[in-house]
Amino acid sequence: MKTYGSEPGAPTPVQVGISELVVSEGDDTLKSYGLGSCLAIALYDPESDIGGLAHVMLPDGDAADNSDRKPGKYADTAIRALLRRMVEQGASYTTVESKIAGGSDMFEFESFGDGVGQRNIVAAKAELEKLGVPLVAEDVGGEYGRTVEFTPGTGSLVVKTADERAENGVTEL
Amino acid sequence: MKLDVNALGTFYRMAREGAGLAAGRLTHMTEVETQVGVTKLNFMRGREIRRDFEDATEKVAVRVKLTGAIEGYSMVVFERENALRVVETLLADSDSETDIDVDAGEFDEMTQSAVTEVGHIMNSGFIDGWADVLETVIDVSTPEFVEGVTAEPFFGEVDETPDEDDLALLFQSSIETVGTEIGFSHYLFPKRESMAALLDRLRTSGGIEYDKLDGFDRMAERGAEEVAKTATTLTGIDTSVEIRRLNFVSLEAIPEQVADETLVGVAFEFDGMPSGYLLFLFDEESAHEIVDAMVPMEVDEDGFGEMGTSAIKELGNIMASGFLDGWANVLDTTIDHSTPEFIHDMGAAAVDPVIIQLGENQEFAFVFDTVVMADGREFDCEVYAIPDENDLERALNNLDVDRIEETPTTAEFQELENS
Repeated sequence: MKTYGSEPGAPTPVQVGISELVVSEGDDTLKSYGLGSCLAIALYDPESDIGGLAHVMLPDGDAADNSDRKPGKYADTAIRALLRRMVEQGASYTTVESKIAGGSDMFEFESFGDGVGQRNIVAAKAELEKLGVPLVAEDVGGEYGRTVEFTPGTGSLVVKTADERAENGVTEL
Repeated sequence: MKLDVNALGTFYRMAREGAGLAAGRLTHMTEVETQVGVTKLNFMRGREIRRDFEDATEKVAVRVKLTGAIEGYSMVVFERENALRVVETLLADSDSETDIDVDAGEFDEMTQSAVTEVGHIMNSGFIDGWADVLETVIDVSTPEFVEGVTAEPFFGEVDETPDEDDLALLFQSSIETVGTEIGFSHYLFPKRESMAALLDRLRTSGGIEYDKLDGFDRMAERGAEEVAKTATTLTGIDTSVEIRRLNFVSLEAIPEQVADETLVGVAFEFDGMPSGYLLFLFDEESAHEIVDAMVPMEVDEDGFGEMGTSAIKELGNIMASGFLDGWANVLDTTIDHSTPEFIHDMGAAAVDPVIIQLGENQEFAFVFDTVVMADGREFDCEVYAIPDENDLERALNNLDVDRIEETPTTAEFQELENS
């Protein structure tokens, strides 16, 4: 369930819900549950230990009129918002690296076209390249869900699937 | 009086804004970290509200009268026991003189005044939040404490009682604090003219004639009845069905509502007026039970093999046909659906592709959620039907209201615990 509080101090790990983005630092962990076609985008600066996680739902915020209000909803605007907030907190733009996970295509529905997950992956990669942020690791695509846990201080992005005992059950990027 | 998605979306934002303010003030007053969540926004009629209050549970409420941009009443309602828990959790520590005995049969003056205070803070927090969103002023009267087991004490003295057909909003909400979560209901029953004026202001499209909202109820009932019938026929398991009311939620809230565990499901896209997506989600135990019931011989499969998968898909397929036929009958149209897609994965991951696809064109969705249950056996199935909003608006506008009245209903509407 989603809650709306007024004060910070949420317990760790901090949950990053759909369309949300959170910037943090050090050993805090940021977690997004049950990504299907949604995409988790993790940015971090190894120098300052500042990083952030976005749980994006759609590719193109520039084409949407509510992306000012909800930058975390779209791959392109989420990446820019993460970067801006990290730099505001002391990260250095030039050393920021990125990792992404998710973007599955669970269903082959006619209405889905090329795949809703695929569109998010393509958009995120394009925006990262445009901004010159290196993509150092990825675990994307496929037909299964993922839960991710990100630690800004180490840049570690742990990806779990529904069956943790399976071959691809737990991956650390 | 007409509703449209923009107007409904504004109500959703009002709910969130109000919850944030209410939580902040509770935290400030009690010095106990508190969060207030709004899980669902339901649209109800006066008669449905009465049904909610006639369920023989003891309830307490704090009611205020509103004047200004919204005229009517706002009422925060707790089950009696929960009201005590709230007061006990929030006030016991902060003021040692307030000795609250949860087992007490009667509310003493102290408890009553504590409940009233908490209720009032929540009411005024919500209302100030709404006023912020609407960029206007809403005045709040002094709070009244009400308790009882029937609708009478809650509505009897109100000068503008919600009539049978009057629209009211129910915000299903909860308070989270000190490791516990306590649910409550927050009702807004506005005066009809006041609501009509507000909706006129908020509406950006043609909208749905408010009287046609009955069509929603009929769709929900018919769809659910068909699902239960087909499930029973196919599995031999006696099932009953509980319809949660039609919900209007932000798309993002839908996956968050799904159980955070591995689920087995069948998904469909459907096409017609309306088009959209339909998902049946079972917990693993229920899915195994269904496979056992449908596949006569002993199946030696790990997890869900070929046999299990095809049994679940077959069940899903027939339930989908029944469900959508139920809708099509009410709407006097035809709705086709795709072949089933099987999933055995994290629940939220099964739902997010659908909301992503719809998210290209809409921010909110009407969700018809329904639960199928079996007596004594595991068969828990959550049904999520999420139509394209433009299609739904059009479908309902095409609906002949006189025809709705001729379609009697047999399904029972029940409110489910929102676990």
